[in-house]
Amino acid sequence: MEDKKLTEKESLEVITSMIARTKFRYLGNANILLMWGYLAVFCSIPVWILLAATQQNVWNWLWFAIPVIGMLLTPIMARREKRTDGAVTYSDKITSHLWSIFGVSEIVLTFICLGFSLIGGIKCWTAMMVYTLIAAPFAEIAQGLIVKEKSLTWGGIVGLAIGMVSVCCVTGKIPLLASWFMPLFILFWVVMMIVPGHIINHKAKKG
Amino acid sequence: MKELNPLLHSQLRLAVMSILMNVEEADFVYLKEKTESTAGNLSVQLDKLLSAGYISVEKGMAGKRPRTICSITPAGRNAFEEYVEALKSYLNL
Repeated sequence: MEDKKLTEKESLEVITSMIARTKFRYLGNANILLMWGYLAVFCSIPVWILLAATQQNVWNWLWFAIPVIGMLLTPIMARREKRTDGAVTYSDKITSHLWSIFGVSEIVLTFICLGFSLIGGIKCWTAMMVYTLIAAPFAEIAQGLIVKEKSLTWGGIVGLAIGMVSVCCVTGKIPLLASWFMPLFILFWVVMMIVPGHIINHKAKKG
Repeated sequence: MKELNPLLHSQLRLAVMSILMNVEEADFVYLKEKTESTAGNLSVQLDKLLSAGYISVEKGMAGKRPRTICSITPAGRNAFEEYVEALKSYLNL
């Protein structure tokens, strides 16, 4: 392409051709999504085993490994991806903000739960789990709709269904026993992040 | 009939502006690849758009490599929209 003068028709062709070239920019890789998915699964399995084997609630502190490791790795991976992508689209920015809001709200909720526990002696940590199981699927469904990626939308819908069942169990005072709830929780991360992540990466490799 | 903005009525500058209208920001390599232009020519045209206040350019580092990130300014967005409106009247769209 050169710095040449154009006719009106050529101008229109340049505009439409450039819009088409940027419009069909691929969603990119889903390594961050996969990192969170595998992190949650590989953290849930030992917690499940330890809770079932020892019946000691102290193992629940291991859940904090998910946000701590995830929040350390996400900015590093995001910076690397931004470097290789070359452009940031509006949908990139919206979805990034969406997950950032979710992440910040999780941190705020952690402090609220901690405050309830330390000040009033009230154990409301289940709220964190319920919130995650509802809010994360909504973020994923929204992302799937924005970037038009069905695996994300459907992963989010299945995740939301698991979340709603969990909410009913909590409000109906059905105990979330490790024997049945932990496999369901692991399934939540698999359908929400691992399956869509591999589908997106497979599409990215195919180009 | 409204006159077409001469700064935008050039193949490469119009291509750059069309891309930047569609993304939040794009780096030099991305623009070069999408417009299929040479680095030297692209650099000259980016300077012209920058001088007109149509784009903003941020120079930084990506690891050990220099990275130039371009984004459209509100003035550039207005100019592009006016250009498209004028173009429509020329083409009777």
